[in-house]
Order: sequence, then C-alpha cells, then structure tokens
Amino acid sequence: MPWTTPPGAGATVFIWAGYSLAERDRRWRAVRENAGNAGFDCVLVPLGNGVDARYMTQLRCSAMVLPADGRAPIIIADRRSSNTWVPEPWQTGREWAEPMGEALLDLGMERARIGVVGLKGGSVTHCSSIDGVVNHTALAQVMSKLPNATFADATDIVGLVRYVKSDEETVFLRRSAAVAAAGLDALINRARPGVDAGVLYADVTARLLELRSEYYPLVLTLDPIGTLKPKRYTNPPIGKRLESNALITNEVNAILGAELTQVCQAILLGKTPDEWKPVIEVQKEVYEAGLKLIKPGTTLGALQDFVKSFGPKRKMKTVIQMHGCGYGDDGPLLTAKSRGDALRDLGIEKGNAFVWKPVAMTADERIQFAWGGPVLVADTGAEALFTRPHGMVSIC
Amino acid sequence: MESPADITWKGYSLAERDWRWQRVRENAAKAGFDCILVPLCVDGRNLHLSLEQSRGTRSDCRFLTQLENAAVVLPTDGRKPIVISDEESGNDWVPEIRPVDGSWGMAMAQALIDAGMERARIGVSGIRRGFYTHGRAFHGVVNHSSYVDVLGRLPNASFDNATEVIGYARYVKSEEQIGCLRRGAAIAAAGIEKMVELARPGVDEGILYSRVMQRMVSLGSEYYPMAFYSGLHGGGRLPRFEDPTEGRFLQPMYRIANEVDAVFGGLIAQEQQPILLGPIPDAWKPAIEAQRDLYYAGLEHLTPGNPFAEFVDFVNGFGEKRGLKSLMLMHGRGYGDDGPLFTPQNRGARNRDVLIEKGNVFIVKPIVTSADGGFDTSWGGCVLVTDKGGEPLVKRTPGMVAIT
Repeated sequence: MPWTTPPGAGATVFIWAGYSLAERDRRWRAVRENAGNAGFDCVLVPLGNGVDARYMTQLRCSAMVLPADGRAPIIIADRRSSNTWVPEPWQTGREWAEPMGEALLDLGMERARIGVVGLKGGSVTHCSSIDGVVNHTALAQVMSKLPNATFADATDIVGLVRYVKSDEETVFLRRSAAVAAAGLDALINRARPGVDAGVLYADVTARLLELRSEYYPLVLTLDPIGTLKPKRYTNPPIGKRLESNALITNEVNAILGAELTQVCQAILLGKTPDEWKPVIEVQKEVYEAGLKLIKPGTTLGALQDFVKSFGPKRKMKTVIQMHGCGYGDDGPLLTAKSRGDALRDLGIEKGNAFVWKPVAMTADERIQFAWGGPVLVADTGAEALFTRPHGMVSIC
Repeated sequence: MESPADITWKGYSLAERDWRWQRVRENAAKAGFDCILVPLCVDGRNLHLSLEQSRGTRSDCRFLTQLENAAVVLPTDGRKPIVISDEESGNDWVPEIRPVDGSWGMAMAQALIDAGMERARIGVSGIRRGFYTHGRAFHGVVNHSSYVDVLGRLPNASFDNATEVIGYARYVKSEEQIGCLRRGAAIAAAGIEKMVELARPGVDEGILYSRVMQRMVSLGSEYYPMAFYSGLHGGGRLPRFEDPTEGRFLQPMYRIANEVDAVFGGLIAQEQQPILLGPIPDAWKPAIEAQRDLYYAGLEHLTPGNPFAEFVDFVNGFGEKRGLKSLMLMHGRGYGDDGPLFTPQNRGARNRDVLIEKGNVFIVKPIVTSADGGFDTSWGGCVLVTDKGGEPLVKRTPGMVAIT
C-alpha cells in the first residue's frame, strides 16, 4: 500500500532537478539492464545512499526499489517532495525502514535476489567509502522483513551507469568546469601577502555560489613553499594571514546540474624557484601525454603504467592522480594511496569525465607539483575543460 | 567583529577533551557498559534527512576526537581510547590514530579485541535515535557493512544502544563550548544583518544567499547552508532552499523566513529573523507581539531542574490566553542533530520528562499563529540555560523586520 504524506511532514526543500524525462528513462533503463545481467530481480537504493538516490530520482532525499523486469519503481521521499521524474512518490516522515520493506514486498520480492546499491565501495562510485554508505539499522530491519530474500552488493550496477555521462550531463559538466575556473580566478585575483586567509576563503566560496554552484568545500594549503606536509584547510582558516612565499595549492570544486568538477592550480606568492621549474615542466609533459592516452579503448592499467614510467626517464617521479566527475565520490580513484589494482582492466569509454591532475616530483619527493582539471572523453580522445595556461601562478 | 586572522582562539584545550571523555566514561559505567564504541557512520552527504541531521551523522566522533571521521573505542575503566581514522594524521587531542587499512570493520573489531572486549558489554553510539542527539535519525547513523563485520568478529560480546551515553555528555556545554557558541551566534546575527541590508524588491535571491554566506564565512564560520524561504503571503507554505537559487527575484511584500546558522569550534549556532518587504499589516501585529512576549516569558521559564513538560505546556498554552495559538519550536545546539527536539512535526511528547539543565544551549523560536490560522510567525536564537533562566547568547530584538 502506498505511503502517503504524514501529518506535519516538514517544509519541502527544493533542489535543482532540471534533467529531462528522457534522461531519467535512459538512467533507469541502463540500471535495469545491468541488474538483469547480474542476476538481480531488483535494485534497492536504501537509506544512506543519498548520492545514488539523487542520481536516480533528482530528489533531495529518497530511497528506491527498481525492478529489473521493466516495471515502474517504487520511490520513497520525505517532506512532501516530488518532481517531474517522480510525480507521486510514497511519502514518509522520519521512518524509512518500514516503507522500504513494504516497497520490496509490494513488488513481490519476498524470495528475490535484491541488489543493494552502496553496500560497499564500488569500482567507479563510492570509491572513498570502502564499506559503503548504507544505514545499518534501517537495512537490518528491511532484511528482517524479507527473511527469504537474498541481499547482495550492487554498487557497480548503478556505478557503471554513472561512469558514462549523457549529452545532458556533459552540458552541465562544462558549466561546472567553467564555474570552478572562475572560482580559481577569484583566488588568483585576491591572494596577496597580508590578506586574511579566512576572508580569502569566504570570497572564493561566495564567487562559486553567486555563479550558482551548489556548495562543496574549497580545499587550500597555505604554508611556505618547501613545507613537506602543509596543513590542509577545508574551512576558513582561523588566525592566519597570507605570507610572502606562501604556496597556495588548491582544489576548487563546483557543482552544476548535480555534476561535480574540480580545477587545481598552485599559486606562489613569490617568484618561482629555479629548482621547481623542471618539475613543473615534467608535470606539463606527463599531463599532456597522458591526456592523449585518455581515449576509448585505453585501460586504466595502461594509463597507470604510462604515468609511472614517465618520470624515471627524466630522473623524476610521476604519479597518477585522477578521479571521476559526477554526483560525488566518483571514480576511478587513482592516487598514490589508492592504486586501483582491481581496476587495471577497466576501459576508458566515450562519455567518461575525469579530473586529471598527475603529480610530478623530484626523486627525493621534496618538490611536488600537480596541475589539472576536468577532461571529457570523446570518440577521438579527451577534451580538457580546464584551459588556463599550465604552470604555477607566481604573484610577486 | 574580529576578522578570522585576528581570532586568537587556538582550539579546545586538553582539559576540555578530558572533561568530555570523563563524562562519557561516567555515563557508560552507570549504564553498565565496558566500553563505548563510536562506529563508522555514514557521511552527511549520503545520509541527508535534513541539514541538522546530515551534520549530526559524524558528530559523536567530532565531539570525542575533533576529527571529521573516526571510529572510537573508549573503555569505561579509564584507559585511553583507541581511535581509527582515514585522516592523514591525528591532532592535539588524539596524536596517535590507527589507519583504516582497507576495512573499517576489521579495524574496529581489532581495536575492540585489543581493548579486551571479546566478551564485553559494548555500548554503540548512534545505532538509533536518542533524546539528546541523533533525534532526527530514527534509524541512527551507523554504517552497515563495517558494523556487520564487527558483530561477526566478536560473537561473544553483546552490543547495545548507547546513543544517550554520549548524547547526555553532549547535552551540557562546558565554558569553552559556550564561548564558541556565543561567537557562532554573533556571526549568525551578522549574517542576518547582511540579509536585512541587502534584501530589497528586485534583488536576485541567489546573490543575496551568496552574500549572507560570504559574510558569515568571512567572520570565521564553517560553511553551514542557510535555509532560505521566500514568497508572497497567503500562497501556502513558503518554498525552502538550501543552496543559491537561479531565476528567483525578491518582490514587494515578499515574506522571507530563514535559519541562519554559523559554526565555530565545530558547534552550530542559529539565529532566525522573519522579514517582510513592505509594511507589516495590522492584522499580523497581535501575533508578532505575542511571539515576542512568549519568547521573553519563555526565557524566564527555562530554568534548571524542571522537566520539559512544564516548559512545553507553558509555551503551547501561551497563545490561547490572547485568542491565538502557540507552539513550541526548539532543539539543542552543538555538533549537529542535538536534542531534545520539539517541532510542529514532532511535538516532543517523548521528551517531556527530560530535565532542563544548567549549561544547556538551545535554539528557542516558538511559533505564534493568528486565531484564524492565516498568519504565523517565529523568531528566535540561541539561549543558554543559567541558574536564573535563559540567557540569549547574542542580544537581538524579537519581531518581524519590515523593509519598506
């Protein structure tokens, strides 16, 4: 039985929900197909997995049961929310386990094989959440209502759909990249010795917001160049003014159309030291050479091997650093710490979008430099959406 | 107010850490737990029932460690906690952290085993909603896969809900915490001042939103989305936004409602100010005046030692004496999803026996509705409970601001 709006359901929170019905149908169809191929009778996007739920419903907070056989999904929402994709969801207040269980039962899943999305970290989504994102008490209650069903991880069922962007998504990835670049411009324009670091942080954040980015934390380091482990700020720094020779590394993020992109360009409040120049040059070379490899058919393993072998030929080290763009925590996540050994055979596809920012460093790792931003994969190769001139910005 | 660079606060002291840990240990001992486990919790971007709730998901680990993401095993017997985190390094409170090393579940289970908890009674914080914390998260905030791993690796231990053990420790604020909340309330008030300065017919609501957030962050607040409502009166409930909107412009006679939050020292302060872009109609004035009187009278009733039942009945009965309706709207302030929670949706019946205590901090913003139900108003801010009653953390005047 459908759940209807409970009394006093709270104020509806309106979020951006501008994708077309064709886009909805594309996503649902692709997820159903993956689910069917994996032998699932349905996929459950449960409480806790808000990012996949948003991808599938455009709602701020929802849960979903999508049968693999083509029937309409049951979607549960709160605060009276609905949208063009989901005009009549089941409504709940703060109780989620009961309607999730009932939705599965209503769809005849008592003895089904149910794919739970977000149960574990996936290949290309929820990459930093190695144990997934699912709420324990709610899922345990759902499982107890369906003792004869089986529940298995289905993170990649949705993840591999998210991995390939549609034309509609690409439009917003481009806008998002442009807004992130405008945020970086604001940072470059305002960063001067003596400036209050907290005010700088606020100004860049405001620039992103006024261009209608959803909020996503700006990341800065501000310590003097040469500092081995600079302090990383994801909130306005307290008690700090910029000093001469501060090296401002950054991750400037923007979200438009729910698509997160990021640009990175280091800013030095001083003259670039000579010993940094060869490292910056090598980073430029590995960035550009790698960009040429980012095309359909290349495996991630091949890209990793290429980057790893690039530096030693120049008596330096080069390390891959990339992740996906999208609704959040998109992969593949490839960094010095997250090597992605299980992803070596995964192929790059048309429609992928990555933040590409390989690192070059001296052999002793004392000097490290990264630069980069979003790239879109087309038939013929990758298109860089971050078009500022390469290099470190020097403000003397 | 000071600019962030001029703020001299260096973070919470080690004495504050020890005070918090000791309160939790004492509560755990009273409840018969051998240790408290704060397990891996779902991140707020994924578990996002509301702004408050999403901020509250990992609030217990922040309260105990000042780390954004950590799992904690705190033995009741006074031994130091074992802290697991995916952050690169610890901090002054927790210089040594254990890495996650591929599985939070395995790391948490090993920490419990290392602490000798194979056959212990383990209190788990955040497994269900509590009175003092996680009140909006009926199903708690705990990550499923890692917690199931822990249960599987300690088959002879017992695991019980201990949300109140940490919740009660969070309920009463220390002087250090009150200092941070006071600054946060002042920053939120500055955000409201910016809104009043800029809100005019024709103004782009998205730009207004950005400027208010800029003002608060430039005073040292962490980013906490403002809740912004706008529209003409009489068209039903105003739409609520938590990001800058596109294509919406303020119009004459628009009502603006808001929840303006600032976060300092990790603690969320909130101030609220209704605004009308035009003269206030006479028909609204009795409710606005009653709301002001109710707020001030409520401060006098907010005294330590009383159960909430008396306070709730006082607030909810206040309007009737003037031929109006009144409703309690308040909840705790702190690291996120602090209770007890009293809203029109959740009348707080389950909280009636909870005692008001000295050192509590609440957002107090009662609602008064006209007799015909056609107009309601809520104004409020952060209030500290003292021996003499409620003390606003920042001085503001209740009422609706008319911008004409």
